[in-house]
Amino acid sequence: MTDSTASAPKPSSSVKLVLLGEAAVGKSSLVLRFVNNDFQPNKEPTIGAAFLTQKCQLPSRTIKFEIWDTAGQERFASLAPMYYRNAQSALVVYDMTKPSSLVKAKHWVAELQRQASPGIVIALVGNKLDLCDDDDPEDEAQDGENAEGHEEEAVRKVSTAEAKAYAEEESLLFYETSAKTGHNVSEVFTAIANAIPETSLKGPRTGAGGGTQAAISGGQDTSRVNLNARGADGAAKEGCAC
Amino acid sequence: METLDGTEWDVVIADTGFASSLLALSLSRSGKRILHLDPNEYYGGAEAAFSLAEAETWALRWSESTDGATFSHASVTKPSLSGDSKLLSSRAYSLALAPHLIYARSNNVPALVSSQCHNQLDFQAVGSWFVLNPFDDALTSSSRLIRVPSSREDVFQDASLALKAKRALMKFLRFVASYEEQTETWNDSRDQSFSLFLEQKFGLPAASHEPIMALTMSTTPASSTTTGFALPRIAQHLRSIGIFGPGFGAVLPKWGGLAEIAQVACRAGAVGGGVYVLNKAIKEAAKVEQSDTIALTLDGNERVSTTWLCGSTETTRWTGCTPAVSEEDFTTISRSISIVSSPLSHLFPPTSEGGVTPAGAVVVVPSPDASEPPVHILVHTSDAGECPMDQSVAYASVALPSDTGYPRLERAISDLLLSAEDAQPELLWTLRYQQRTNLSTQALRESGGLINLPALRDDLVLDDSVLDGVRQAWQSITSEEQSVFMKFEAREGGEEEE
Repeated sequence: MTDSTASAPKPSSSVKLVLLGEAAVGKSSLVLRFVNNDFQPNKEPTIGAAFLTQKCQLPSRTIKFEIWDTAGQERFASLAPMYYRNAQSALVVYDMTKPSSLVKAKHWVAELQRQASPGIVIALVGNKLDLCDDDDPEDEAQDGENAEGHEEEAVRKVSTAEAKAYAEEESLLFYETSAKTGHNVSEVFTAIANAIPETSLKGPRTGAGGGTQAAISGGQDTSRVNLNARGADGAAKEGCAC
Repeated sequence: METLDGTEWDVVIADTGFASSLLALSLSRSGKRILHLDPNEYYGGAEAAFSLAEAETWALRWSESTDGATFSHASVTKPSLSGDSKLLSSRAYSLALAPHLIYARSNNVPALVSSQCHNQLDFQAVGSWFVLNPFDDALTSSSRLIRVPSSREDVFQDASLALKAKRALMKFLRFVASYEEQTETWNDSRDQSFSLFLEQKFGLPAASHEPIMALTMSTTPASSTTTGFALPRIAQHLRSIGIFGPGFGAVLPKWGGLAEIAQVACRAGAVGGGVYVLNKAIKEAAKVEQSDTIALTLDGNERVSTTWLCGSTETTRWTGCTPAVSEEDFTTISRSISIVSSPLSHLFPPTSEGGVTPAGAVVVVPSPDASEPPVHILVHTSDAGECPMDQSVAYASVALPSDTGYPRLERAISDLLLSAEDAQPELLWTLRYQQRTNLSTQALRESGGLINLPALRDDLVLDDSVLDGVRQAWQSITSEEQSVFMKFEAREGGEEEE
């Protein structure tokens, strides 16, 4: 795990992130790479939904991502609304070898802009960079799996310029990633963490310092009550042992 | 989009209201095949939370009275303001149909914690209770709004109380702390007026009853609030104080009241493999003869079968399995949701030095006529995530039908605004509606695979009966031991779902 619990306490905040995009663009793989630094070449489609968490260390604070994976299979279009409700960030993924997936991504961006929290941070991510050797970046093949792996003939169908122009127009963060090699994956999450406005992490009134840490989680949002403050079974302190 | 036609389920849940969603949560690791539907295009059913635009659509839908419907007489008013309205964009608001407060001593709290739900929820303190006396020219503003002393320390420090009254009040508070062991004091008065009890047993003058009554959150008129109802309520209030921090005992879920808990519960259901379909009502249900399955016909004529069918009375009433209910089983309440152009900061004194900043306050407006019910107002600050900064949301209710209830609500809200110390606050937007609550469904009912989950009571305190009903339903379905109800390991760390 990435966090170093021993270091001096930095303010820590939870950020809800919803993962959206067409089926098979690699949403779950991106998260698996971010959370476990792992990749499964022939991952089964995610059925239903999944929930994962991962911490992201910034110089000044710790962001704990709560990642809600809606599964592109989403058969009845009913999960997404409950996932993006109150989400502070969204990762909208397309497959750069499949133009239709960018169309779907644009649909999700529009939906988020219409329905989600007004201040939501949206990142547009083109995945499967490893299949596009035209502009292969520096060597990231840490797993060795990627070594000249030309088993698939797919090539880039969505240009960087096109997607980037769209992202700029809509004020989205934009990255091209490879869940397979890990290229740019942690960068996406760090960029999101940095883009979350300070005000949506803290309560509007900053308390008079320290105070009752038992009741105030993290010591920053002075209105937050920790239901574990009663110390039900000792195990529970703020956050989790991950 | 795929079809549901021909699918088989262990459990079909008919709506995503609070109780139904808690059931989905409780079954989320049971391995059962669960189909969770809702006839609406939003989550939360009768406990949903809305943006302004959604609330206005909802009000239009329930403006008329429909036979057997929970809501009716809904309307939105936007007082025309001089200059431009301070209302912000529709989505800057999340207005709760169920802004209930949850006491620390409620059975819901341990369940939210052991089911890991609390990790995805934010709770905030409901700080102070007030009694607001109807506006009267003879009184100054400071004497109309009285903060209720809610602990012995409060009473002790209250300079407005005469020594004798203080002593009587202390005696009463000591009694409440262990009232269960002192049945001889109150058993005979159980079904009698609580006011009478206070006067006769504790020598508390009528003038001191209102603050005590406020702590019961009783929706019934003062004259018909019984000792048997009031004592456990006051005890719960007092015993809850300090559990989550000094100076407060009740919390509210941030971002839209019980709607937020319902959604978190549904998300847990989805992560557990449940299939979620909004905008899908059940049109017919019939027991298949000589089997333990129920055949359902859904919107769009999709047919599915299930062993269990669960839901609120409203979403399952067509099934014919629901026992007949008479009109006396219902209470009718009038409710309003008002957006106020001021943070109403006079209602939110700090809970204690260095303690949490309260996001909720309770204002009780007694009726001058003891045979009429009081108005309860829950005020939420912008910290509760339901309105923009420098505004607040006031949720008012009174146990009267709309014709007599709406004027009471209006009056109470306007008196509340008059009590503000800062520049005169304005009402920016108000939704009013009438709600019918079926009192006979406070317990769970079950017959041949059909389970009616209990409805919320008609007051603004989340009581224990809902979760008790959910536990019974869960037990019928899973045959598990009570002790494992809602006890889940955290789904965290970097584990992919199976």
